[in-house]
Amino acid sequence: MNSTQSAALFKRFFIAIILLLCYAPIFLVVLYSFNESRLSSVWAGFSLAWYKDLFEDSAMFEALMNSLVLAVLSSLSAALIGTLGAAGVVRVRPQGDASLASRASGVMGYLAVLPIMIPEIIMGMVLLAFFALLGLPLGMFTLVLAHTCFCVPYPFLLVRARLAGLDKSYGEAARNLGAGEWRAFYDITIPLILPAIISSTLISFAMSFDDVIVSVFVTGPHTNTLPIKIYSQIKTGISPKINALCTLLFAATALLGLISAYIARPRTHRARLKQKKQPTITRRVQ
Amino acid sequence: MNRQHNSIRVSVENFSRQALGAFFRAEPEKTGLSAPIQRILLCKIRKDFRFYPLRGKSQALCAFFLAAALVLFLFSGCSKREKTAAGNPQGSGAETASAGGTLTIFTWAEMFPPEVLKSFEKDTGYKINMVNFDENETMLTKLETSGGSGYDLIIADDYIIETVIEKGLAQKLKPDKIPNFGNINPVYQSQFYDPSNEYTIPYGAGVQTIVYNPGIVNINIQGFTELWDPRLKNNLAVVANPRVVTGMALKTLGYSYNTEDVGAIREAGSILLSLAPNIRLIRDDKLDDEILSGEVAAALMYTSDATNAKIENPGLKVVFPREGVGFGIMAGFIPSRAANEEAAHAFFTYILDPQRGAQCFEFLGYYSTYAASDNLISEKYREFLTLPEGIGEMEMMDNISPEAEEAHSIVWTAFKAAAGHK
Amino acid sequence: MESRKSAKKAPQKDKPARNGKLTLCGTTFSVLPLYLFTLAFVLAPLIYMFVLSFMQRGGSWGVEMSLSFDNYLRITEPVYLGTFTESIKLALLCTLFVALLGYPFGYFMARLSPLWRQRVMLLLIVPFWTSSLMRLYGWIIFFRANGTLDHALMGIGLTQGPLRLLYSYPAVVTGMVYALLPFMAYSVYASAEKLDRSLVEASRNLGASALRAFFSVSFPLTMPGLFSGIVLTFIPSMGLFFIADILGGSKVVLVGNLIQEQLMRAHDWPFAAALSVCLMALTSIFLFLYSRLTRALGSGGELEGLV
Repeated sequence: MNSTQSAALFKRFFIAIILLLCYAPIFLVVLYSFNESRLSSVWAGFSLAWYKDLFEDSAMFEALMNSLVLAVLSSLSAALIGTLGAAGVVRVRPQGDASLASRASGVMGYLAVLPIMIPEIIMGMVLLAFFALLGLPLGMFTLVLAHTCFCVPYPFLLVRARLAGLDKSYGEAARNLGAGEWRAFYDITIPLILPAIISSTLISFAMSFDDVIVSVFVTGPHTNTLPIKIYSQIKTGISPKINALCTLLFAATALLGLISAYIARPRTHRARLKQKKQPTITRRVQ
Repeated sequence: MNRQHNSIRVSVENFSRQALGAFFRAEPEKTGLSAPIQRILLCKIRKDFRFYPLRGKSQALCAFFLAAALVLFLFSGCSKREKTAAGNPQGSGAETASAGGTLTIFTWAEMFPPEVLKSFEKDTGYKINMVNFDENETMLTKLETSGGSGYDLIIADDYIIETVIEKGLAQKLKPDKIPNFGNINPVYQSQFYDPSNEYTIPYGAGVQTIVYNPGIVNINIQGFTELWDPRLKNNLAVVANPRVVTGMALKTLGYSYNTEDVGAIREAGSILLSLAPNIRLIRDDKLDDEILSGEVAAALMYTSDATNAKIENPGLKVVFPREGVGFGIMAGFIPSRAANEEAAHAFFTYILDPQRGAQCFEFLGYYSTYAASDNLISEKYREFLTLPEGIGEMEMMDNISPEAEEAHSIVWTAFKAAAGHK
Repeated sequence: MESRKSAKKAPQKDKPARNGKLTLCGTTFSVLPLYLFTLAFVLAPLIYMFVLSFMQRGGSWGVEMSLSFDNYLRITEPVYLGTFTESIKLALLCTLFVALLGYPFGYFMARLSPLWRQRVMLLLIVPFWTSSLMRLYGWIIFFRANGTLDHALMGIGLTQGPLRLLYSYPAVVTGMVYALLPFMAYSVYASAEKLDRSLVEASRNLGASALRAFFSVSFPLTMPGLFSGIVLTFIPSMGLFFIADILGGSKVVLVGNLIQEQLMRAHDWPFAAALSVCLMALTSIFLFLYSRLTRALGSGGELEGLV
């Protein structure tokens, strides 16, 4: 009992340390958003001047809105395409025969992962040429297309890894019990791969929200995204206004996290009570 | 029914064999575990059902709404874009100034003080749409793809403007629409990229200066040569521009920044390798932070950083190297098929006003390119934002031959790698 | 919809036929978007890149149409070959560290209660929803001479003077591991979460030690997650020029840096394309070797279908 407890403690400790390290640079950015000096090497005293600057910059907020819309749309579309694709490829593939479909799906599976291998800048240039060729007006639509494109590998890889060895028995069991193809997919496969879908969507969101190289190529004359605004300050030096913005974003996500945790709590609690009365009681005793 | 039951069993057994394959590889007969596993499996499926209460119709409905929202979002994004760009259709010669009085400026971020932009909008009635790029090269690629449309006014670096003009992507300015054209300091005019001043209005210029902290290193730095001093070991920062850094070595050897002699560039490369042990950092922006924090003792940096550093710590020394000073100009031009060149001219006229010019350069931190503005720059900034007298020979960096570029890139890569491997 | 209705009405009668037809149709439908997307947006850039790599630069901007192997010959310059070995070294090092930190993280995360699982998952990604540039500047502040780290270390008396860690190799590795950790943690998590604890318990009941149970049951079953994590870590770390530039002070030259520089500074697109082709070929070879290796060592069909 004692060793299990110390093991559990070690696990929590490990997770906490890693998380702390992940937050260390963010905390420093937050701290320096209150720095009076323009420089990150000098602490000149507490000041809210950068926040004032930020709130006067309406273009910055417009860029932020664009980035949020873009990240939501492209991470969702990538999740959709990647998940369906992974489900399909896994279903064709395991037969392992040399049929055309199987071969094709193998090649496609490899190709679908390539966007993370192609240097972003080349992808940006080619996509720009491609959109110009198609006559698509550059703007939010082309941005979403391009971002979806480089986000697809994440859901595809993660979902496929989770599906490996899993779907055959569960899916077949459900179908043999009389569920239709889609019913089986909705009711069995989706819930089972949901953790992979969610985590890859979170990653895609982060990738899209932070991309500058592809964005700057495929955006039009009316759509700035936040990373473009940040990276294009190179001529005059990055303004601490960005620290302030990052702090606000961070605060907003933290708040959202808290709210969702608050909403999630009673439901799981109830579910736990309904499902297993015993464990809840023992936990309370402990 | 029996067949069905059988196939469940088979699949469940399959799964358990697969799952426990590694564990039971030694004793393959032990697959008798499949009955408990089967129970566990069914339990798990049932549990998962309970965790996701949305099922059947409600789930389909949810999916439908999500999809609908997605499509709607996409279309709203599109139509918004099309609406704003209505006066500016891509591909067709959009000479019509029907962009609703919008002036689309394409440049880096934070190039103009927000007050000036706001007052321009108020005074002239044009609405400014500021779009940013991260690198000159991105700008040119985009301008090339759109055939010179989409933007009304672009501010970029000198060397790229030469290419822009060569490719016919810029239009000639109409001097009669810029009455205060004469405010420009002639020092910054008639340069290689626009010899007869037909296309561009300069907006800020910079030189590469050596800034060092005499409190940390006791060297009297007068030019590039002293940067090779071993006392600066691991204590020197330089800008991340190969032409500038290799150019520094070329200058020390008595060549021009723009030499196309591959032998000379190679020679510069070899003396750069002996500079490598001193290099701590190679970066373009925010070098002021590094010298102020004491991370480096000396740095070759651009004007805006040097200004910030010197203002923050007056003890620092700023040196215009005796071997010669390299300088660059940022300039504005109007793309060949700008939708609203009227507004662009109005904007040039607006910032060429001496008072507003001074305001802009104080914000920008680069040398004032408008002679009329020089004296209006506040005391605090004046000595930093106007070109000092007698700083010796100045040279700009032109575009050079492909062979020379290739030599530069080999030399540069070797230099960086050597700096990392010391 | 329709299939469900018919399933209710006649679950038995025409099942084999319906199933077969629907499987084919469903599979096609589900992979179609991926295939279309891949063909349009991945294959096209690839072909473009490949063709471009045989061209020549034209003056100070643009490309000249002339077929030759010159660009590939140029890569054999020792300076450029050096960047390839440097990249591989750094990528392997980073992947190793990320696996060492990320695998236990993902695995432990899957063992938390559902509520905490959710929370940790969110907590891990939130830092990555702010700008990467700002995070890197955060690290700069952290590593700076007389900065946070130095103060902390000198405070507890571990070091006497500033370490000057900024703009050094360890700083680059730290930055890379930091940027890539979530990929590994999430992949492993996605795999470990599906791991049926009862299997481990069964093995424990049969007398296996905790370690033995982990290596013979848990580890093989989470291999797909580890593998996709390695793919997601190794590939980007070959090209993450940005972190090497900012935290390494541009002194660590990776192929990614070289490509970026050839495109943005030297305007030599064909050479950049040739470099990219080589980089991708190299990465693909690594992936292929790795998948062969894991397939040979690993658990039967588990990894079938992975890259």
